[in-house]
Amino acid sequence: MRRAIVVVGTAAWMLSLAMPAVADVAVVDVAELLRDPASYTAPGVAEVRVRGELVGDFGHRQDAVWTQLNQDSYSAAPIRTGGPLAGGNQGIGVRIPLAIWQDPGAPGDYRHRGAIVEVVGVWRYHDPDRAGESYLDATGFTIVDPPAPLREEFPWSRLLVGGALLIGAGVIAASSRKRMHE
Amino acid sequence: MLRRPSSGDLRIIGHFTGRIFLAFAGVSVLPLMVEIGLGEWAPVSSFVLMMGVFAVVGAGLRRLLATSRPLDLRHGMVVVALVWLLVPAVAAIPLALSGHFSDFLDAYFDAVSGLTTTGLSVLQDLDHLALSLNLWRHLLQFLGGLGIVVVAVWLSVGGAGLALAHSEGRADKILPSVSSTSRFIWRVSLVHMAVGVAVLYGVGVVFLGFTSGRSVFHSLMIFFAAFSTGGFSVQSTSLGYYHSAILEAAASVMMIAGAMSFQLHFALWQRRYRDALRNLETRAYLTTFVVLLGVTMVGLGALGTYDGILGHARQGVFQFLSAHTTTGFSTIPSSELALWTGLAFAGIAAAMALGGMAASTAGGVKALRVGLTAKVLRGESKRVMMPPGAVIPVGYFQDGHRRMTVEVAHAAMFITVLYLGLYLVGTGVGIAYGYPLQDALFESVSAGATVGLSAGITDPAMPVVLQIVYMSEMWLGRLEFVAVFALIGTVWSSIRGR
Repeated sequence: MRRAIVVVGTAAWMLSLAMPAVADVAVVDVAELLRDPASYTAPGVAEVRVRGELVGDFGHRQDAVWTQLNQDSYSAAPIRTGGPLAGGNQGIGVRIPLAIWQDPGAPGDYRHRGAIVEVVGVWRYHDPDRAGESYLDATGFTIVDPPAPLREEFPWSRLLVGGALLIGAGVIAASSRKRMHE
Repeated sequence: MLRRPSSGDLRIIGHFTGRIFLAFAGVSVLPLMVEIGLGEWAPVSSFVLMMGVFAVVGAGLRRLLATSRPLDLRHGMVVVALVWLLVPAVAAIPLALSGHFSDFLDAYFDAVSGLTTTGLSVLQDLDHLALSLNLWRHLLQFLGGLGIVVVAVWLSVGGAGLALAHSEGRADKILPSVSSTSRFIWRVSLVHMAVGVAVLYGVGVVFLGFTSGRSVFHSLMIFFAAFSTGGFSVQSTSLGYYHSAILEAAASVMMIAGAMSFQLHFALWQRRYRDALRNLETRAYLTTFVVLLGVTMVGLGALGTYDGILGHARQGVFQFLSAHTTTGFSTIPSSELALWTGLAFAGIAAAMALGGMAASTAGGVKALRVGLTAKVLRGESKRVMMPPGAVIPVGYFQDGHRRMTVEVAHAAMFITVLYLGLYLVGTGVGIAYGYPLQDALFESVSAGATVGLSAGITDPAMPVVLQIVYMSEMWLGRLEFVAVFALIGTVWSSIRGR
């Protein structure tokens, strides 16, 4: 029994040494990552896990897809669904190798709340191999929630007031022209 | 004794302001068509409302204040100062109705920042903004960069163009008439636009892997913001969004083209390369560029911000170029820029303050004034060492040999001192609100020189008074003071004059 405990204990200790990456995955907010970017780089932190909305474009390059991941209140409550204003966007660049890429549908834009995804990866801060860029180099990519369309209300009153003003301007211009001819 | 402006004076000012409002009603058809094409229906109604306001105010002013008197220099200055103040108020309507701003003042701030080609923004959730509204912001920068003057001349304001051109600080005509000059400016801009958009489109499709439609959109917006040295961006992370050195290089060429004077464009167009290089302004700009870039890079090296020469070169040079051309694009977050202290801060802040060339889309003191001031100081230094009464002729080359007159020297130094005063006033207000000296100075210079880089102060939660101060700085900096003084003088003499 004692021998079994020693063997299991030794194995567990060796496993923990062999898998520092698993032990060092830090769950982090994008805002925190931007506030203190140097603290989340290797070797101190092997990998970080962030969750957020993919916005903008999916740039399909040679071996990876480049996009932007935002983690702000707008992904949970978009302005067009009545969500509050909460300052600027909080986003980071993400490089997702094609080997783990799954099509997440439309990226976040005027018409969509983009897919909510969870990305695990290495935070490359001032990466010397990319001349000082900072981005998250993904090793894991999971789609948590697919994109959602954002509907828009058509404000008829604005159109009517605007139309009336344009007609008014036309009438004024016509009367000016008539007066000039006279 | 102050002479009150006659009703005829006010009539002319109102009439031509109305004409420019009508021109803007016409220009706003472009984003409206884009909206209809994209099916962005909520912004359509906001744009129709904005067009209606532009049109009814413009037509009303033209009708009520009809006049056949020509516009003189004084009137032109007042019109320009008024237009840069009033046009953003109407242009802000669709922005304010978009729901992306806390209040109308924030939307007005964005519109002023756009038309003055600054690029500071308090817009919230840019990444979900309608494409047509973002296009409108970028179009405002393009129009502001080329000058409402040129737009007005182009749209057949006609004889008023000369007075408007002088009042906007474009006193040197490239060609014999303002109409031919403005046609040249449009031709240069359109050629740059065709080449620039094509190159950026190619980069988008080939190197960034964007879809064709999105590449068109990105390339057009980047061109508008780069050539106008404006600095608004498509996504919230500015040019850092693209993670592409090739795109940054392409944008840099357009930023430099925007910061070059149209006289220099004309010299290059005519293949007068030697003249272009001999110009005092070219030499002054190249000198400040090399010296201040060196200072910035030494400062970055001392801070050890980036690993390796490539990191320093790419990030350092791009942010510096953005500052010295007064564009305001960035590839790093403002929180990171705020960490550029010491020499790096000094280099980039000085580059912003000095700005681009005169008669370009750039802001700041301008290289021509820097060159003239240096010539004056050099002449005065020589005078000290010469016997009393010695005459030291000071000349310079700027599209031909010119003699430094007292008037030219005074004008150059007076405006330079005004810019420095403007930067300091904004800094003082920032400090009064509790911001650190470095951040307050950086932000104030960025607003006054119409740059748009931010150390993080410009934010939707910023104090209202500071927001108004920065707007005033953008307005004064873009119009180089004189037109604003003419407006203030006209208002003052209307109240106190006899």
